[in-house]
Amino acid sequence: MTGRMMNTGNIKSSLGAQIRRDIALGWRGRGQALVMLGFFLIIITLFPLAAGPDEAQLRPIAIPVIWIAAMLASLAGFTRIFADDVACGWVDQVALSPLPLALYALARAAVHWALTALPVLVVTPLMGLMLYLEPVGMPPLLLALALGTMALTLLGLIGAALTEGARGGTGLLAVLVLPLAVPVLIFGVLASAPADGGIVTPHLMLLGAVLLVLLALAPLVAAMALAEAEAETGA
Amino acid sequence: MVAEPTQSRIGASDRPAAGLVIDGVVLVRGMRVIQPALSHVIAPGGMTLLTGPNGSGKSSLLRAIAGRLRPMAGTITCAAPILYIGHADGLATALSGRRNLGDWAGLNGLPVDVDVIEAALAALAAGPFADLPVRMLSRGQRRRLALARLALSPAQALWLLDEPAAGLDRAAEAGLDRLIAAHLDRGGMVMAATHTPLATGRTHAELALEAQP
Repeated sequence: MTGRMMNTGNIKSSLGAQIRRDIALGWRGRGQALVMLGFFLIIITLFPLAAGPDEAQLRPIAIPVIWIAAMLASLAGFTRIFADDVACGWVDQVALSPLPLALYALARAAVHWALTALPVLVVTPLMGLMLYLEPVGMPPLLLALALGTMALTLLGLIGAALTEGARGGTGLLAVLVLPLAVPVLIFGVLASAPADGGIVTPHLMLLGAVLLVLLALAPLVAAMALAEAEAETGA
Repeated sequence: MVAEPTQSRIGASDRPAAGLVIDGVVLVRGMRVIQPALSHVIAPGGMTLLTGPNGSGKSSLLRAIAGRLRPMAGTITCAAPILYIGHADGLATALSGRRNLGDWAGLNGLPVDVDVIEAALAALAAGPFADLPVRMLSRGQRRRLALARLALSPAQALWLLDEPAAGLDRAAEAGLDRLIAAHLDRGGMVMAATHTPLATGRTHAELALEAQP
């Protein structure tokens, strides 16, 4: 590697600058986050419309429906995680800065999660009530959903970075990420409805383990995929 | 701001890297060899203009030096910090030019004081449109915002410029030439791919690339 560092500046201050930029961009693009929230609400609302307002039918599927809606809504937003930054050449600038690409990717993921998954978590109790989920069932659902959406965002990070390298478009992203998201879905649904009433179940711990593995791996894989990512305009 | 000495990924060079040393570099895009074996040296204070027809690998060579394209063989060593301005301007279109420049400075641990940013914008006369979202700006205006980074550069840096004058008006071209001249005077290095004369009056080496069949 040649003189990769623009200079030996402080990584922490570089990371701060990157996060402030991401938040500013996310705020200006908040319409996108609202579209995803709307997508989440619509998927869930369709179920009572299709299955009828019968409590006996809706209550058993409440948790799976909320999970699938959260999964699809977050999948819809992954494609933009790196696309703009690669296309405009910002990733080139990050690669030459003191900020490692893995930390850049992690910062993108964290801000993306805060802007897209947090609103989903906020409206989930309302959606739960609509599907006859009892208030006592909300804390385990929200906890599992918080961990699960973090894991899904990290999976999306890998998929988005690989898609930038392959230039395959969004279809490839879904094909790559959906199978890997299955364990998150399974453990997440099980952890959302603990049988014995306790919140910290083995399923929640397994979900947490999946999250930790992804937290360690996803930024590194994304950094490798972005190492030579290039704007289409570059000749 | 002290540069961190780093070695090529391909292998350590046995020559001391006072400036930029390119040694037997082979560049491949897809299955096509675009640079069979290139060697070149730039010493501190030196400028090299990359010339050659379209598709001769000028941009790829700059990307390789910037570490954004892995050479198939050969080594590139440079102890100086690298500032790369490629075809893509690296500007977020939703943010203002001033914000973009400040973010870039923050990313690189460079001073982000209002005065410093203002002076950098003034070097390319980019002040008047620096508060508009970049998406509203013309190609040349965006180019000027991207080039304003040069005014924030550390003294000993190697500048890699890909068609820096593309889209610039005469005044901005003169501003760019002044920045390059000042950078060379303080011991900086410049490698620029260009089809038009750049910083005329300065001595420079020319590296003419040939299109590969």
